[in-house]
Amino acid sequence: MAVSGPAASASLISPSALMSIRNLELRARAVVEGFWNGLHRSPYHGFSVEFTEYRQYAQGDDPRYVDWRVFARTDRYYIKKFEDETNLRCHLAVDQSRSMTYGSSGYSKAEYAATLAATLAYFLHRQGDATGLVTFDDAVRDYLPARNRASHLRALMLALEKPPGGKATDLAAPLDRLATLVRKRGLVVLVSDFLAPVDRLERSLLALRACGHELSLFQVLDPTERTLSFTGPAVFEDVETARTLYIDPTAAREDYLQKLTAHNAALQALCARLGAGFHPVATDQPLELVLFDFLQERMRRGRAVRNQAHAS
Amino acid sequence: MNFLAPLFLLGALAIAAPFVFHLIRRTTRERTRFGSLMFLKPSPPRLTKRSRLEHLLLLLLRCLALALLAFAFARPFFQETSVQNSGSGLPSRTVVLVDASASMRREGLWVTARERVAELAAQAGPADQFAVVTFGRGVNTLLNFEDWTAAEPSVRRALAAERLEATTPGWESTELGGAVVTASEMLLDQEAANPGPRRIVVVSDLQAGSRTDALSSFEWPKGVQLVLSPVTARAGTNASVQLVADAADSEQSRAEPIVRVRVTNAADSRKEQFILGWDETGGTGPAVGGVEIYVPPGQSRVISLPVGDLTRPRTAIVLEGDDEPFDNRIFINPPEKRQVRVLYLGSEAAGDSRQPLFFLQRALTGTARVELSVIARAPDAAPTPEDAGGALVFVTDPLPAASAIALRAQLEAGATVVAAPKSAAFGPTLAALVNRPGLALGEASLANYAILADIDFRHPIFAAFADPRYSDFTKIHFWAHRRVDPATLPDHRVLARFDSGDPALVEISVGQGRLLLLTSGWMPTDSQLAVSSKFVPLLYSMLELGGVIPSVFVPYLTGDALPLPASVDVAAPTTVTAPDGTTTSLPAGTRSYAGAAAPGRYRLEAGGAEVTYAVNLDSAESRLQPLSPDELEQLGLPLAPVQADAVKAAEREVLLRGVETEGRQKLWRWFVIGALLILLIESGLAGLTARRTAPSGGPTP
Repeated sequence: MAVSGPAASASLISPSALMSIRNLELRARAVVEGFWNGLHRSPYHGFSVEFTEYRQYAQGDDPRYVDWRVFARTDRYYIKKFEDETNLRCHLAVDQSRSMTYGSSGYSKAEYAATLAATLAYFLHRQGDATGLVTFDDAVRDYLPARNRASHLRALMLALEKPPGGKATDLAAPLDRLATLVRKRGLVVLVSDFLAPVDRLERSLLALRACGHELSLFQVLDPTERTLSFTGPAVFEDVETARTLYIDPTAAREDYLQKLTAHNAALQALCARLGAGFHPVATDQPLELVLFDFLQERMRRGRAVRNQAHAS
Repeated sequence: MNFLAPLFLLGALAIAAPFVFHLIRRTTRERTRFGSLMFLKPSPPRLTKRSRLEHLLLLLLRCLALALLAFAFARPFFQETSVQNSGSGLPSRTVVLVDASASMRREGLWVTARERVAELAAQAGPADQFAVVTFGRGVNTLLNFEDWTAAEPSVRRALAAERLEATTPGWESTELGGAVVTASEMLLDQEAANPGPRRIVVVSDLQAGSRTDALSSFEWPKGVQLVLSPVTARAGTNASVQLVADAADSEQSRAEPIVRVRVTNAADSRKEQFILGWDETGGTGPAVGGVEIYVPPGQSRVISLPVGDLTRPRTAIVLEGDDEPFDNRIFINPPEKRQVRVLYLGSEAAGDSRQPLFFLQRALTGTARVELSVIARAPDAAPTPEDAGGALVFVTDPLPAASAIALRAQLEAGATVVAAPKSAAFGPTLAALVNRPGLALGEASLANYAILADIDFRHPIFAAFADPRYSDFTKIHFWAHRRVDPATLPDHRVLARFDSGDPALVEISVGQGRLLLLTSGWMPTDSQLAVSSKFVPLLYSMLELGGVIPSVFVPYLTGDALPLPASVDVAAPTTVTAPDGTTTSLPAGTRSYAGAAAPGRYRLEAGGAEVTYAVNLDSAESRLQPLSPDELEQLGLPLAPVQADAVKAAEREVLLRGVETEGRQKLWRWFVIGALLILLIESGLAGLTARRTAPSGGPTP
């Protein structure tokens, strides 16, 4: 990829620098503007998240949507999809449970996740896509339906800036709720640490997928969570349950990493099965890269869909 | 080195603690917040792999401090040889007082007491002195210090056992006080020769009936220790029976003769029903004529037991139904009246109410135990053999010279004569009676009347009136009285004087007898004495003084001396028949028999006269509950702790010696100081080490 490598990473904004910007919208703008600027050097041009098509008229289609200009030119009936129908309706589901308050490098996973969500929202907004927001801990806390207005973005940022407060991470219940809230199909971006049993998650994701939503999962983990890079033994306190355990990291690391890898593998396998994108993100990872990953995934998916359309 | 509290040495095991702490990797107190513990398992605190002991010097110091503290708490001391010898350096002297009273007859007590003495004898060292004394009412030295010292050390124990073997508990009461006093005197006898420790060991059942009166006025000698070694019998019901002094009127009013006894049940008894009956077989057969009685524990009942069949020799009452038989039998003398004759020598007619005889006959009617008869004789009548038996002689009229001399012979033999002259004409008779030819009586000239002013209440005659309620004699007016010059009287004592200072009643000793000279008569012409309430008691006091009637009912107890009545001629040897039938001869001239050791009926025969005494057990012996040590301590006795076990006592002694030595040496202080110093060094060293290691230790992420 063009943006990878030391030269590219030098131009990226480090997350710790980004997090020093207090305003969430400014943060998002900094990422996205930088991304646009950097994008000129990218060999991939003009990709978009939306996909529009003319579809041949079939019996039963609403004749209102027939594109008469195309009919005039080609003498064939084509149905033109409406803007709002073709525009991407993206719902950002952000985990604000207490486990997200953990962070070892000056900012928490929640802050990083909020910035990530804000970046995506800003980016999609710039593209004219409708963006909605669901924040949740063990239940849905805020729900903003997908819209594409300037004021909506502001409201979205405000909702994201709320401090996390929930106790437990229960992904299943909020996702089930989300499935009932969002009737129109679209893109659902899940931002969480996914530190919850996978089997419970599976059913909810399946339900979302069955509603026709596309899914993209961002697993935000602190670097220490990914490596357990503590040195001395200590009493570890679970930020969610306040349970304490005496842990000697040198002894526990191997087992921990094994379990974490297994967990993530299970999560990834699940996503693969569902056709969802899975992006493990460390909080020390520049957000541009995450955004790039996201777009790349979208593009890949778009190509795949187009290929499927052509094949059909 | 010895330890007073060696158990504290276990505290030294705490040394293991620093080792473990040094081996366990220091558990951190820092808390790390972490996102989720779902992939983490608690790590066990693990020992460092190389079992490395970091900071060896610190570890050593900490262990040393703990060890020193443990040693300090164990109170170490060095055994001092001089201390060991101070206790046993001088030979000790021990008097073992073994209770041989009736209450020790209970089952098992005597055997235990003998074992106890054997133990004590075994404890005695070769240089120690040891004596065994049994006591009841008196003391009986079984083994004295001289015999003990004279015997070979190897046979001494056997000697003590042998002497005690030959003895059994008697029937006497427990004079604990007297025995302890005697024993302490034994110890003090050779104080100068042997200044070693002295102690009295009392092996006794220490029953509440033990008498300790003798100790109340006894100043306890310094350095003599009293050790109580109580022997205990199994607890059981004990009821006892005692004879109650008979009440004259109740006895007289009954047609059927009765005996009144008191049955006492001990407070800790479990039975309440007893049978009281007559023992006609000498203890071999069942009780006859038994009555069922009910006495709750801790109470007593007075039972009137009818004598019943008078043809049978009913001499013992037996109580059945309790566990301790030793105090269940009392012996009684069948009630019999004593015939006492009082001789009156006067010239008046019996029915003349203005004369002394009239009042005398009415005053001396006798009591339940005494039948009195007043025999009136004219002064000049020839004496009859019947008169010779007169125990008390009243004389009011002048006697012919021959009669006076005969009466004086009686006086000198021990008779008591009351002379109450009606007039001064009695002078020559009095002179003859006291053998003072020049003695003369005069008639006092009274303006109005005289009263008794100066009365000697200490004399037996007036002792009954000594109480202030009865001592008022001023109501008795004397219209006339005779005067006698006391200076002319021989060996005499003025018992009462008139307010004028003239003697009213004088006791004059004549030979073995005594003459009571009453200078006024009791008839109305002379005084109001006969009609006063004092008259009859005064007459009976005179009778008692003359030994004619016994003063009070005296139950004879085991160990009492049985007296022969004054009337019995003791010129001949006296034969005593004991309850078991054995006879003893007392040498002539002996007036009492002191060998009544067992309860029963003793018959004393001398010169044709015969007296039977019923000797019973002291009722105090029946009070079997243990004597409280407080009572003995109140008497000021330096009680050593009760010696239940000789071995325990020896251990205690060793311990006490250790305490004393330890208290003197106080080694623990040095150990504590050492521990503190080491802890100080340890703190400094630990601080130094921490400062040195602090910069090198990297911060944890």
